[in-house]
Amino acid sequence: MATKKKGLLKVIILGDTGVGKTSLMNQFVNRKFSGQYKATIGADFLTKEIMVDDRVVTMQIWDTAGQERFQSLGVAFYRGADCCVLVFDVTLPNTFKSLDSWRDEFLVQACPRDPENFPFVVLGNKIDLGNAAVPSKRAERWCQSKNNIPYFETSAKDATNVEQAFQAIAKNALAQESEQDLYNEFPDQIKLTGDSNRFNNNDAGCSC
Amino acid sequence: MRRLNNLSESSDYLTFRSSVPLRNICVDNSDGKSWKVYDAGPKSVRCPLIFVPPACGTAEVYFRQILHLSACGYRVIAVEAPRSYWNVNDWCIGFQLLLDHLRLDKVHLFGASLGKFWMLPAIFLKRLIMPSLVTKSYDPDIIEAVDFVAEKVVLPFQVNTINRLELASRLTLNCASSRVHPERIRGLQFVTIMDVFDEYALCSPVREEIYDAFPNGKLAQMKTGGNFVYLSKYEEVNVHIKIHLRKFESGSYSAILVPYDTS
Ligand SMILES: Nc1nc2c(ncn2[C@@H]2O[C@H](COP(=O)(O)OP(=O)(O)O)[C@@H](O)[C@H]2O)c(=O)[nH]1
Ligand SMILES: [Mg+2]
Repeated sequence: MATKKKGLLKVIILGDTGVGKTSLMNQFVNRKFSGQYKATIGADFLTKEIMVDDRVVTMQIWDTAGQERFQSLGVAFYRGADCCVLVFDVTLPNTFKSLDSWRDEFLVQACPRDPENFPFVVLGNKIDLGNAAVPSKRAERWCQSKNNIPYFETSAKDATNVEQAFQAIAKNALAQESEQDLYNEFPDQIKLTGDSNRFNNNDAGCSC
Repeated sequence: MRRLNNLSESSDYLTFRSSVPLRNICVDNSDGKSWKVYDAGPKSVRCPLIFVPPACGTAEVYFRQILHLSACGYRVIAVEAPRSYWNVNDWCIGFQLLLDHLRLDKVHLFGASLGKFWMLPAIFLKRLIMPSLVTKSYDPDIIEAVDFVAEKVVLPFQVNTINRLELASRLTLNCASSRVHPERIRGLQFVTIMDVFDEYALCSPVREEIYDAFPNGKLAQMKTGGNFVYLSKYEEVNVHIKIHLRKFESGSYSAILVPYDTS
C-alpha cells in the first residue's frame, strides 16, 4: 500500500487499586507525578502520539478503577484492545498474586482472536521504594510461564523505565495489529478480480 | 438482493419503535414548523443529553443511543428540526424555543458532523450525502449502518417531493458557512470530540479545523466506524458518552437519575 494508515493503539491498564496505574499513565503522557492519592473514578483514557520505527501512532491508554466500576461500561471497554498492561506493586506481594486473575479477566472479557499470543506487558512498579518484596526473578518466572510476557520494573515517581515500558507496549501492540491487517486487507484483493458484491465477503470480518 | 442484517428489522430498532413515542412539537405558529422529538428516560432529569442529527440524518439515527443510554438511567432526547429553517440563525432560534417548550435551560449536546455546519461550501452539496452512503468497508457493522441511513433517510427523499424541501433546507443550513463562528465556542470547557480513523466524509483539513476549534476538547478516537459511528460502533460511542457525562454526575448538570453504583 502506498499510504501508511494512521495507527490507533488501544491499551488497557489493569491491576489492584493503589499499585500506580494512574500514576504510570500520567508520568508517561504528562510527565507528572503526584504523591497524593486520588482514587480513579470509573474508567478513563488519555491519548499520546508516539513514534515507533518511523511511524506515528496514537496510543489511547485506558485506566481503570475497581473491577465493578468499569464493568458497568460493558465489554465495549475491552473491545479492540491491542495490548494489556498488568501492573503490580513490588513492595506488596498480594498485588503480584492478583496478576493471574487480572490476566484471566482480560482474556474472558476482551475475547481476543488469538488469546495465546495476545500481547501483555507486566510492570512491577514503585521500584524507587527500595524494599521490593517481589524479587525480579520471581516476576520474570511468572512472565516466562505466560508465553514470555515482557517484564519491566518501573517507578512512576522518578520515571524509571516508564518511557521504555510504553515503547515496548506500543511495539507489541503494533506487532499484533499488523497481523490483523492481513485479515482485513484480504477482501480488498478479492475486489480487484471484479467481484464487487460486498455482501459476499462478510465472513472476512468475523469477530471472536 | 441478499442482505446482511437489516438494522430496521433488528430487535434494538423494534424495541425502540415500540417503546419511545415520536412527538411532534410546534414551537411557533407557522405551518410545517414542528420538531420531531424522541424523549426517553426519567423526565425528572433537568439537564438531559440532546442529540442533533447531521444534515443527512433523521432523529432516528440515534436509536441505539436513545435505547441503551435511557436504559442506564440517562434522559436522552433526539430532535429533528422542521423543514423550512433556511439558515443557522432560524435553526438556533427554533431550538431555543424547543428547549423552552421542554422547560430545559441547560443541556448536554451531541451533534454529528457538526464541522460541516461551518466548513463546507455549497459545491460539496451533492458529495456530502452521496459518498457517505457508499462504503468500501467490509465491516458488517459499518455496512449495516450505511444501509440503515440509506433506507431511512435517502429513499424517502427520493420518492417524496415534500421531503425534498426538507432536504434542501437542511443542505442550505449545512452550507451556510459563515454563520457559526468557531471562536465563539473555543472557550467551551467540556467538549469531547469523537473521531474515527478509517475513511469517512470529512476531509483532513476540516478535521484539523474542528480539533482547533476545541483546544480543550477531549479526543475520543475510534479505530473504525465509517460515517455513522453512532450506529455502527454504538457500544464504543456510548462508552465515550458515559465518560463525558460522568464529570457532571454529582451536580445539577447530571443527565442521569441514579448515579450507577459508585462502590
Ligand atoms: N513511591 C512511589 N509511589 C507511587 C508510585 N506510583 C504511584 N505511587 C503512589 O501510589 C499511590 C497510588 O497510585 P495510583 O496511581 O493512584 O494507583 P492506582 O490505584 O493503581 O491508579 C499514590 O499515592 C501514588 O502517589 C511509584 O512509582 N513510587
Ligand atoms: Mg487509578
